[in-house]
Amino acid sequence: MAGVIAAAMLLLALLIGSMMIGSTTITPGTVWDALFNPSANIDHFAIRDFRLPRTFVGLSVGIALGLSGALIQALTRNSLADPGILGVHAGASFAVTVAVGMLGVRGIESYMWFAFAGALLVTLMVLALGSTRQGQSPVVMVLAGVCIGAVLGGFREALQLGNPDAFDAMRSWNAGSILGRPLDVLWPILPFFAAGIILAFAVSGPLNAMALGDDLAQSHGVKLTRARVLSVIAITLLAGGATAIAGPIGFVGLMVPHVARWIVGPDQRWIFAYSALLAPSLLLASDILGRVVMRPGEMPVGIITAFVGAPVLIALARRRRVSGL
Amino acid sequence: MSIQHFCTSRPAFIRTGLAAVALIGIASAVSAQETRTIEAANGSIEIPAAPQRIATLGNTTLPFIDLGGTPIAVTAESDSDVSRLPQEQQAVYQAATILAASADEVDMEKLASLAPDLILVQVPGGEFEQIRQQLEAIAPTVFYSLDTEWKALADGIADAANTTEALSAQKAEFATRLADIQQKYGDLIADTSFVDVNRWSSSDPGTFAIADIGCSEIGRDEVGIDYPEAPEGADPLAWTSYSFEQLGELAQYDVITYPVGADGEPTEPFVPVVETNTWQALPAVASGHAIGLFCPGNNSYGAVLQYLASLDAALATLPAAE
Repeated sequence: MAGVIAAAMLLLALLIGSMMIGSTTITPGTVWDALFNPSANIDHFAIRDFRLPRTFVGLSVGIALGLSGALIQALTRNSLADPGILGVHAGASFAVTVAVGMLGVRGIESYMWFAFAGALLVTLMVLALGSTRQGQSPVVMVLAGVCIGAVLGGFREALQLGNPDAFDAMRSWNAGSILGRPLDVLWPILPFFAAGIILAFAVSGPLNAMALGDDLAQSHGVKLTRARVLSVIAITLLAGGATAIAGPIGFVGLMVPHVARWIVGPDQRWIFAYSALLAPSLLLASDILGRVVMRPGEMPVGIITAFVGAPVLIALARRRRVSGL
Repeated sequence: MSIQHFCTSRPAFIRTGLAAVALIGIASAVSAQETRTIEAANGSIEIPAAPQRIATLGNTTLPFIDLGGTPIAVTAESDSDVSRLPQEQQAVYQAATILAASADEVDMEKLASLAPDLILVQVPGGEFEQIRQQLEAIAPTVFYSLDTEWKALADGIADAANTTEALSAQKAEFATRLADIQQKYGDLIADTSFVDVNRWSSSDPGTFAIADIGCSEIGRDEVGIDYPEAPEGADPLAWTSYSFEQLGELAQYDVITYPVGADGEPTEPFVPVVETNTWQALPAVASGHAIGLFCPGNNSYGAVLQYLASLDAALATLPAAE
């Protein structure tokens, strides 16, 4: 419990930091006034109109990525799996490319729904392809996700090469960013996130049992197919929603559950709780870093997480026995 | 032979007609064979004295059309650039054969089949070298490097395409317009700090740019407006994306200029900026010192003249100029 409190405090500190740190550093007093005693001060507008939405988006997307990563690792019993392995990112990216390049859709508010629909459709295909007579096979689902992802990735590249304007229009989304996402973008996705979070914690118990093996899980009364289908739905809602808003942000869903497992051991309920606190912390810390690392411009959070993620992934892979499933 | 006899005598009429046609043909052939040599970035090029079938690749299309030229084939221009052209120029562009999205993708067989007698090209040097031999095998090819200043490009294109009369008229109008602006607003410009902000359809969500290229370059270099610019040797300021929360930093400038369409309304990509509370709270905006400028292009006199007309009208609205 002390660990959870510490993680929550870390997240709280980063939430405050995200409101204070940016192109200019704003004092905590000004942040307080902007939120609770607002005026027509330019700093107040900067906080209320830009930093507050950005922080909320970072918090929500981080929770979604962390939980979806924990779910996919538990479902596939593969500690190096991430939500993209089910084709979520590929489906979302392909749909956005079609929307922008072929249908002329512009603006994150419009094409995020294509991203969400693309993620949902691909995951449904993966779910269908992963269905065997014995029920859902995680291995077949992962293979189906990887294959569909590769095919859609090829189509996406071809479309983007033939339409440079489309590539330009979705460049920031492709890199993974939470800059310029107003709360209007987040509100419609929040119900999906809420449903995904509830489902995730609902299946955390069955996933614990399934980690012991299918036979043992069944002997404990776990309905394997139902647990797997619900897990996939939760992953899709969480990762699909996060990708729709921020684009494909890698490594967060991979690293954080891994770290959580390292801290608390194999109990999925605790892994999920830690992931829901640590993933937004990582995302917000990366976003804050991205704001200051190349001033006066910014670096998209997706690039920062990749920079941080690659070496951390190598380090984690070398510690596999410590944090393996 | 009387005129009546000539008109009614069929053999005489036909003979004379054929002779006339032959003479015109000979004259045309001579004219077509007449050549002259011009200097370009790819060396001394022998081109027809009066080229008739000109293909334009890269950045030469719009300046050539602006000079009254009618290209037979072009590389594609962006929809937004085409939409900012005057109607008659849009018609000329649309009548041309679109060869490809960019010069390095041009279908050379298609270009050859159109039998151009001159090809004008302005693309990156490396891109030109990839297609140079193929282009030169099709027709005399005149290449302008990307660092060719816009006036030099207009001079070069007018010289190669034999449209120098149109260019002279444009230059005269440019000089008159410029002198008029400097005479009317010289003091205001000298005592005022300006910043030009922009946002394009390719800009990342939630970002804007401080423009120091494009029309702001014209404003700075030709009109003398005190726009911020990148230090010598550094990347243009316009290449940096600033987040909307940095809009507040524009408060240090007396006048803010921003992009508008021909209708005077902010361009579509720029609308998210003017909708922010921060923009509306800026001193320059609140006091009427934010002015919209129409920039249809910055590499031909016709487009620059439209920009100057827009600048003239906008400066007239500034409280200090009233």
